[in-house]
Parts: sequence; C-alpha cells; structure tokens
Amino acid sequence: MTAVLEIQGLRKTYRARGGPRRALDGFEMYVEAGQVHGFLGPNGSGKTTTLRTLLGLIKPDSGEMRILGHELPRLLPEVVGQVGAIVESPQFFGHFTARDTLSLLADAGNLPQSRVDWALELVGLRERAKERVKTYSLGMKQRLAVASALLKQPKLLILDEPANGLDPGGIREMRDMMATLSAGGMTVVLSSHILGEIQLICDSVTIISLGRRVAAGPVAEVLQAHSSGQLRVALETPADLSAAAQVLVAGGFDLKANEDHLLMSGVDKPALVARLLAERQLYVSELTPVTADLEDVFLELTGTAPVPGQVRSVDQSVRPELTPQNGVGA
Amino acid sequence: MSLVRAERRRFFKRRLTRWLVPIGILLLTGIATALFFVHSKPTAEARAAAEVRAEQAYQQELGYFEQYKAECEKHNNGQPCQGPGRENFPVENFMPPSFDFKGMFQPLLLIWASIIGMIAFVLGATFIGAEWASGSMMNLLTWRPKRMSVLGTKLTVLLGSVTAIALTTLALWTAALWATGVYRGTTDGLTSGVWQSFGLSALRGLALILAFAVLGFGLASIGRHTGLALGVALGVVIVGQIGLRIVLELAGVKFADQYLVPMHIFAWMDKEAVLQDWSGAVSCDQNGCNAPEMVLTWQGSGSIALGVIAVVLVLAFWQMRRRDIS
Ligand SMILES: Nc1ncnc2c1ncn2[C@@H]1O[C@H](COP(=O)(O)OP(=O)(O)O)[C@@H](O)[C@H]1O
Ligand SMILES: [Mg+2]
Repeated sequence: MTAVLEIQGLRKTYRARGGPRRALDGFEMYVEAGQVHGFLGPNGSGKTTTLRTLLGLIKPDSGEMRILGHELPRLLPEVVGQVGAIVESPQFFGHFTARDTLSLLADAGNLPQSRVDWALELVGLRERAKERVKTYSLGMKQRLAVASALLKQPKLLILDEPANGLDPGGIREMRDMMATLSAGGMTVVLSSHILGEIQLICDSVTIISLGRRVAAGPVAEVLQAHSSGQLRVALETPADLSAAAQVLVAGGFDLKANEDHLLMSGVDKPALVARLLAERQLYVSELTPVTADLEDVFLELTGTAPVPGQVRSVDQSVRPELTPQNGVGA
Repeated sequence: MSLVRAERRRFFKRRLTRWLVPIGILLLTGIATALFFVHSKPTAEARAAAEVRAEQAYQQELGYFEQYKAECEKHNNGQPCQGPGRENFPVENFMPPSFDFKGMFQPLLLIWASIIGMIAFVLGATFIGAEWASGSMMNLLTWRPKRMSVLGTKLTVLLGSVTAIALTTLALWTAALWATGVYRGTTDGLTSGVWQSFGLSALRGLALILAFAVLGFGLASIGRHTGLALGVALGVVIVGQIGLRIVLELAGVKFADQYLVPMHIFAWMDKEAVLQDWSGAVSCDQNGCNAPEMVLTWQGSGSIALGVIAVVLVLAFWQMRRRDIS
C-alpha cells in the first residue's frame, strides 16, 4: 500500500515565554491510503503541533514530511487542494452565516458553489446554515469545521480532535460519516484523546507521548503487542480449581489462583492449557485471553494512568528513548 | 483570481463596511446640506437689501466720525481728519454668502479625504485584524498556503475596494458641491485648467485615503489584532501628537508644527503649508508683521508618509513570511 502521509524525524522547539519548549522530538508517522488513522496522545504531547507543521502553519526545526508523495513544506501549494483539514477547533468569523463562511472558502479554493450545500447537508447543518456562526453551539461549530474540511472533497482528511464538544449522538454520526468517507476511498487522520471512539473506527493508530512516537500500527497489532498475554481459565467444576493449578504449575506455567478462575500469564498457545488439563479429566469451561483495550495500552505507554492520591501535571508523561523499533507498522 | 473574488465579497459582506460607509456618506451629506443652506444666490432683492444695509452702516460710521471729528482735529494740530470712505462699505460685504464652486472645491476636498480616510483606516485595520483574531486567517492558510500572496491579495483587494468607496463618495461630494454652486452661488470660471487642478487635488486626496487604509492594514497585521486595538492605537497617536506638541513648545523648538501629522496632511492637500515662527525675528511695517517662515511642500510630506508606509508594509510582510501561526 502507498503511504499518503509520511513524517520522519520531525522536531520543533517553540520559543515560549518560559524558555524553549520542545514539542516534537524526532517524531515519525505513516498513514496508508484508505485508512482511518487514529493519532493519539495525552494533552500537550504534540498532536496539534504535528498537524500544524504538516499544513505549513508552523516551521519545523528539522524533519521530513510528505503528503501524497509531495515533499513538504516545499510542495504544499501543489497538494493542498487534496488535503482537507481542521486544526484545533477552528474559529470562524462570528458575524457570517455558515453558508457565507463556506461559500467564501469555496471561492478562495476555486471550487464550485454547489459543494457548499453538499457539505452542509453532510454534517447536518443545512437547516441552520443561514444563522450566524456566533450563535452556534460548540458542537455545531465543530460540524461546520468538518464541513469546511470536506468542501475540497479531499484525498486526505485531517481532523484535530473532531469529537470535541460533540454530544454522544454527534460523536456517533461523526463516526459513521468517517466510515462512509473512508469507504469512499478517503484517507482520514483523526487526532483524539477519546480512545473508545478511536478503537471503534480506526484501522491503525499512532500514539505520541512528549513529542515522540511510542507505538504505531494496525489497532489489533498494537493491542496485541502491548496486551499482557494473560489467560483466564475457569473449570466446569470449580472445586477442581486447585488441582488444575497444581497441574499447570507442574507444567511450568505462571499463574495466579482466584476464587472462581485462574489467571495465567505468558501463555502462547491456550490450546496447550486445555489439553494438559483434559488429560487429567479437568474440563475447561472458559479459556479467554485477557485483552487490553486501547485505553490500557495508551495509559501504559504514555505513563498517564492515574495513580491514587497523586495529581499528574500535564507534561508528566513518558518520553521513550528514540529507537527504531518503536512502533510496529513502520 | 478566485481569492480576489472571495476577499472582495468578504470585504463588502462585513458589518463594519456596511455600517461605516453609510455613516461616512451621512456625515458628508450633513456637511453638504449645511453648506447648501448657509449660502444663497445673489438675487436682485438681496442686492437691494444689502445696498440699504451698506448705506446704513456707512451713515452710522459717518455719524460716529462727526461726533469725534473736533477732538480728532485738536489732537491732529488742526489738520483735517479723514472720515470713512463710502468705498470701504462695498455691497458685497453685506450680501449673504454665496457659494463659489471654483474657489471652494479644493479646500473642501480635505473634508471628504479626512472622513473617508478615517473610515479607510478602520476598515483596513479590521479587515485583516478580525481575520487574525478570529482564526479565519489560519483557516484560510490551510487553503492557500502561499502566505505572501494571501497577504498581498488581501491588501490589493482592500485598496481596490477603498478606491471604489473613495471615488463613489467623491462623486457624490462633487455633485453636492456642484449643486450648491448652481443653486446657491456660482459655477463660473471653470476652465479646463481648473478642472485639471481639481483632478490632481482629488488624486492627492485618494492617495491620502489609501495611505490610511494601508497603515491600518499593516499595523493590524503586525499586531495580529482587532480593529478595536487599533482604535486605541489611533487614540494614542492623537494624544501623542497633542502631548508632543506641548513638549516641543515647552522645549522652545522652532516650527514645532513640522513634527505634527495634521500639518503634513494640510501640506499634502494644499500643495504646501507655511509655518511661522512668532518667537523668532518678527519684523513689522505698516502692512502688518512678518515672522520667519518654513514651508512644508507636498513632495516633502508625501515622501515622509511613503517612508512610514514602506516600513510598516515591509514589517508586516516579513512577519507574515516567517512567523508560526498558532
Ligand atoms: N504557540 C506555542 N508556543 C509555545 N508552546 C507551544 C505552542 N503551541 C504548543 N506549545 C507547546 O507544545 C506542546 C505540544 O502542544 P500541542 O501540539 O498543542 O499538544 P496536543 O495537541 O497534543 O495537546 C505543549 O507542551 C504546548 O504547551
Ligand atoms: Mg491539540
């Protein structure tokens, strides 16, 4: 598959009031065509900085970027017509209506005005399109932003925290819309810190922490690579649980006995467990790998899992060592 | 070209444009109406009435003279004292004012240029300032990443639109003054040379208006802020000018007015402005007194303005080129 988006060794240090602030530190990212790609990271990890840099709004200190094979930022003007983007809840001029706003953008991008109604329809704003943006709710503004990004009918759609401010229904609609768009061949990059959403709609993810990539690849692979490899075992007769434990320990397995099940770790082949027990007439009623979800992986990798009795500061996350084997799908 | 269309639409869609331009026209209309009604045509009745009043005034003056004649001659060692002459009471002085289009057009251009210039400044500042402040500039740059050309296009559209507004209002203003001349005075003496000179003055007025627009635009782009901030900045400039004047005067600086913006605007519009230094070597004769003079020419004032505008624009474009937009 071809990479629609490639980033290598991206570095950016802001000159901020409190001294220089390193926002991106050798970040990399690859997105393949036709995928919905989740771009995950805690607050302040550098997601917005990455997307702004891609769009030419910020000059990086160093690094290579390509969109659809075009080197950035040099060739951005050539490719920008195929990239629809919203960066961090974009603001619009409050006194214009949604339709005016989009219509002006369509003019600026030399697009037919017919796209305006199409985009408004797509995000469910058609009926309120004649109202001033100032009077919109956060979620409606967010929809308008998505509409403005869709106006170009882009090959690559970049959305920075699109679920911000949306109600649950809105989030679901957004999810469905993205599925439709991606089915139509559009590549979608979606930054978020709302992980349940990402897991449901993304084909692949990149996880960033303090400006560096900590994991990347198809969702299933990331989950597997970082899942605990634990196995939950229950028996038809709970009374046999201790006998089973003895058998398995003798077989060289690590396990923890619980009241109604055994929790084994480091199991490669669950079938082996079932056979070992069956040979002793111990019959398994449940044999399930304990899966991590994206949230667990995220919290583990970024080191932002809450610790009771501690308040975490925003910049307190894990900065991984820069090694080539970070991530999977590169 | 598509960006030009979008920006032009945006310019005329803005609330401020839709308010300020009519307000400007209203102001000009008010002034033109006042000018119309304080002037009147020299009719035969008016002339007759004026002649009566001239005669009355002469007689009154003569009466005073007769009263003090004896005393005057005593002081004058018996020489006869001169009474008031009838020719000093011309009937014109007693006529209601009549509007002379040829004489008035040029000085009154300053009214049009300063009102529209002020509006151009605010429109220029908010046109870009509101874009920056609202984040729509960032949005636009994700559509048109060539920053220099975006800023350049915006500036061009601003200048084009302001020119349209200026020329429209100039046409209205000229028409109003013309009508005042026709109905309340005279439009005589308009040779092609006079019209040519009017045209050049109007061009200088237009240039003044555009200069204000560019300054507002440039400053707001540098400050990345709304027109409101620039309104404040404008206030600071005015206060600064008054303060500067006081300081310069206290310091005894000669020709202090040459450091003040309004003097240069006068010089620009009237081709020159003459400053007098009454603290200097003043010489008097029977015709009055003369103080040392300093002449500000329109070329000089224009060059200064051009320099300031160039600096502001270079800064604005340079900053646009290199800054991070976040
Ligand atoms: N304009 C800026 N000036 C200085 N520091 C900034 C600026 N923008 C972002 N940062 C800093 O860079 C880091 C990354 O920010 P950002 O990319 O916005 O994170 P995210 O979008 O992942 O929440 C943060 O520490 C933030 O404080
Ligand atoms: Mg962000």
